[in-house]
Amino acid sequence: MLFVVVFLFVMLAPLAYMVSASFMSQADLNSIPPKLFPSAPSLANFVSALTQQPILKYVYNSFVITLIAVAICLTAGSMASYALTRTRIRFKTTFLVFVLAISLLPTITLINPIFKLYSRLGLLNTHLGLAVVAAVLDLPMTIWFLTAVLKGIPTSFEESAKLDGAGIFQIFVYVLAPIMKASLFSISILVFIGAWNRYLLSQVLNQYEARRTVVVGLTLYQTNHTVPFGVVAAAGLITILPLFFLVLRFQKNILGGIMEGGVKE
Amino acid sequence: MERRMTRIGYLMLLPSVLLIAALIVYPVVNTIYQSFFEIRTQTAALGARFTGLDNYVKAINDTHFRDTLVWTLLFTGVSVGIELVIGMGLALLMKRKMPGQGLIRTAVLIPWAIPTVVAGIIWTQFFSQNGMINYILQTIHLIEEPLSWLGNQWLAKLSILIADIWKNTPYMSLLLLSGLLTISKDYYEAAQIDGATRWKQFTCITVPLIRSTMSVTVLFRIISAMRVYDLIVAMTGGGPAGKTETVSMYAVNTYFTYGNTGYGAALSVLMLLISIGISLLFVDSLKTKGSV
Repeated sequence: MLFVVVFLFVMLAPLAYMVSASFMSQADLNSIPPKLFPSAPSLANFVSALTQQPILKYVYNSFVITLIAVAICLTAGSMASYALTRTRIRFKTTFLVFVLAISLLPTITLINPIFKLYSRLGLLNTHLGLAVVAAVLDLPMTIWFLTAVLKGIPTSFEESAKLDGAGIFQIFVYVLAPIMKASLFSISILVFIGAWNRYLLSQVLNQYEARRTVVVGLTLYQTNHTVPFGVVAAAGLITILPLFFLVLRFQKNILGGIMEGGVKE
Repeated sequence: MERRMTRIGYLMLLPSVLLIAALIVYPVVNTIYQSFFEIRTQTAALGARFTGLDNYVKAINDTHFRDTLVWTLLFTGVSVGIELVIGMGLALLMKRKMPGQGLIRTAVLIPWAIPTVVAGIIWTQFFSQNGMINYILQTIHLIEEPLSWLGNQWLAKLSILIADIWKNTPYMSLLLLSGLLTISKDYYEAAQIDGATRWKQFTCITVPLIRSTMSVTVLFRIISAMRVYDLIVAMTGGGPAGKTETVSMYAVNTYFTYGNTGYGAALSVLMLLISIGISLLFVDSLKTKGSV
């Protein structure tokens, strides 16, 4: 029991402190001893967070980019996994090992050529451009996960649909998707969280304010000399709200996704 | 029919192959190629000049690169080592049936799900001059004066490690837990009948049986720790005096601040070689993973 309490405290205290600090005045934050709770809770930090940086715009950008990334990743990933488990193509194992190997590459070996390529194609500072990169980076995990899921589904369902003259697309949408619903959902959430939190590529590829993502925007509240922690805490809280919602609402799917999928940084 | 299906199979693999070719294979090959050239953004109009291994020779003699490399490897070794030990402990505890199990597993997801930048910002505040850590240490009389955690290179490194361990141990413990849950209870019951101690059970049953899960988990953590970037950007920005700058940060600065593309590429390729070297040590466990 003691363990449960200590454990929950260590896991949650830092975040709880951030929530509390977002309602504190600068005087509370500077006080010695440090305060755990605001002496007079105020929304001033949230007002500053919303006005000093266009954070709602950043949140919108993050949403658009992340949702496109999830869509691309799941579409390409489902197709690949179907091919790997349901057709007699060659080099299946080679492909899976290759996909695993590319997820071990350092990001710095990719970033400059992608930057140059995007600047030639006019994809810098676009939602689509960043979304495609985010999708590719989570594609190995998605392919591995969905391949394992599809391997576990007996082909008998599809055989009877095939006899009824259904095409591959119909089989996927009407036969497999309903069976795999929970797994598809789990992997979507994992890709969502991965894409939402991706920092380095977002910082380099989408530098313009109009297309900046929220995790990058978060670092811009710090000025040279002072770190207005109350304001940053408020902005941080805004940034993690969607993730917080996902974790609390869908923890079972997320846990299932992590523990069955295995491979994720 | 069968042949048509095979053709459709290749076609369905195509989107993934194209995406990977354009955004992973091409960039890596291009980076390796550029590492043999003198290319600067400022003089891009003059084109690239082939310089052979010059960039690599320069990197080997670059003391700042050596410092960033040593710190990156130290960070990786210490953080992954501690995360494995604590993560294993947590996984063993989470495996037991106990009240609040669901709550614990949800709480574990919180540090994992929040952006690294947010974790960095919170821990920066904890380690600040008037922050919680100094206050607690002074209250229990471990220190008399507040320490400048992020102003001293070793304390800054320690702070970064602590923040990283908080952020990444939970995820590690979940992966280890998934390995533990695949072990049949029969083994432990049999061991108990034979009078094996808990420690003996751990070393003779648990460890051998989750070895492959454990090595894959550790490999992926090592690789992601070696990429460390956002945590340190948020906590120290590489300071004090560049002492907590990692290879990733140095390479990104070389590319985009100094515009020295060729040299940045060489630094990245050296990092790639180290990653490949480490991955080769784990090749056996990856093989078991590959034969799904």
